[in-house]
Amino acid sequence: MESKSLSRDCNNPNPDPKMAFHFLRALLHIQQSAATTSFTGRRRRIKRAAYASMAYSSGARRAWSRALIHTLRRRRQRQQRARTAVALPRRIRVARPPRREVAAADQAQVLRKLVPGGTGMEYCMLLEETADYIRCLATQVQLMRNVVDSVTNS
Amino acid sequence: MEAERSPGVGSGNSGTYTAEIAESLRFEEEIQSLIHPSFDASPATGGSFTALLGLPANQAVELLHEPGPGEPPASAAASSPVWQIRPGEQGAAPIRLPLGCCSSTFPSNAALVDRAVRFPVFAAEESPASSSGGGGPPLRLKVESPDSDSPPSLSIPSEKPQQRSAKRKEAGKSKTKGTTKKSKSTEKNNAVPKAEAEDINGGDKLPYVHVRARRGQATDSHSLAERARREKINARMKLLQELVPGCNKITGTALVLDEIINHVQSLQRQVEFLSMRLAAVNPRIDFGALDSFLPAECGPLQAANGRTGVALDPAPWSSSDAASAAGGVRRLPPQQFWHVDLVCPQQTSASWERDPHVLLNSGISLFGYDPANSGNSVPVNSNQLKTEL
Repeated sequence: MESKSLSRDCNNPNPDPKMAFHFLRALLHIQQSAATTSFTGRRRRIKRAAYASMAYSSGARRAWSRALIHTLRRRRQRQQRARTAVALPRRIRVARPPRREVAAADQAQVLRKLVPGGTGMEYCMLLEETADYIRCLATQVQLMRNVVDSVTNS
Repeated sequence: MEAERSPGVGSGNSGTYTAEIAESLRFEEEIQSLIHPSFDASPATGGSFTALLGLPANQAVELLHEPGPGEPPASAAASSPVWQIRPGEQGAAPIRLPLGCCSSTFPSNAALVDRAVRFPVFAAEESPASSSGGGGPPLRLKVESPDSDSPPSLSIPSEKPQQRSAKRKEAGKSKTKGTTKKSKSTEKNNAVPKAEAEDINGGDKLPYVHVRARRGQATDSHSLAERARREKINARMKLLQELVPGCNKITGTALVLDEIINHVQSLQRQVEFLSMRLAAVNPRIDFGALDSFLPAECGPLQAANGRTGVALDPAPWSSSDAASAAGGVRRLPPQQFWHVDLVCPQQTSASWERDPHVLLNSGISLFGYDPANSGNSVPVNSNQLKTEL
């Protein structure tokens, strides 16, 4: 782990302690409830924890982090609602029209789908948010790699 | 050039003054011829419009400082109508603008420099009768030749382009304008003033961006705004290219965008893959060892039992503190921790360089306070974590 060095920052294994703290805390929480959840459930939770720690480390400063927090909260609410509404009869589902294949020729559109909150941005801001998003993603990936390495090595 | 200047001139606050200035600018040709004979006598210090304006400027200086000693009366006559309007400065012995600022205001005459460059006769810069003692080399501009014009002589000519570009007239504030303009101009090494996107005058409260049209390009407000926007986008694209590895060599926006998209997608896939690995390995995670990732002040991760929210209230910290089996563990108040964490993230990142084990002991230097106590508590902390787990 000490041999790892971020390309951009000065040889530190962890340039973002806030992110690390939040992620590790979430991991701990997941582990404590790990006995009950399945592998996929755990994986989903860990992925969510990763994105959450990313978003919280940027806080409300960035548009993408705000959008990401909003998305995460909305999904969580939906999950909770789904859990409490278990007893409801199955609703008759109307077949949704098949999603049209959106031509991915417009790269800005593709980018907007990738970056959280991108649909509401204009091009200039989209580029800026993408840059910050990439930076944060790279940090998160580095952090997760460090965790995995430290666990598998020790 | 006249056309682009006149609107700015016309919109100046002092109508008469700006009108006069426009007039004086048209007198340029005459002035040039007037200056020319006297020009040879002056020391050649590099082409600049100061040579062009030097004479009328000096006229102004004369008028300002000591009404009397003169350059050719004809040029004085040509330039005098311009200077007569300056309130209270005619014949006033003390110059209104301080000397130091004048030298900085001088190079702001972007347009005038432009004109001066076009006049090859002005190979030398003149600073005759610099009663102010010849200020520093303010015009180290696109003309690429330091001018040692007398600062007060520059104050007056520096007014004109500022007014033109700034679309307002502030005699007293010309120094600030000049400073910013100079700093901007010195970056340009061509004789053409580029678009300046700055709040030119720090003193004035005008919020909009002043952009100067490039030579040979449309001066339409729409195209100017578009150009500014395009430049912004290009700057962001450059930033993105630096972030994404391997993007520097690619030319063309579409390919770069493709690369960026690929990079984002690959990063997201990596997160998913790593989360899968973590899920597989999760039961074996030893959170004590993982503490090394965190700044030591975070305290044991056990403290986070049952809390998934981000808001770290002091309450859970203190409760977990009490609940922690290790009595000797010393934890700093959470407010302090977060305050430090938020306030000086750079510090923390800098100190992550060390080996994690070293970090445990010396990581307290992250937070400037309480190094000694924390240093003792941290190793105890991790040990207790291991036992608790």
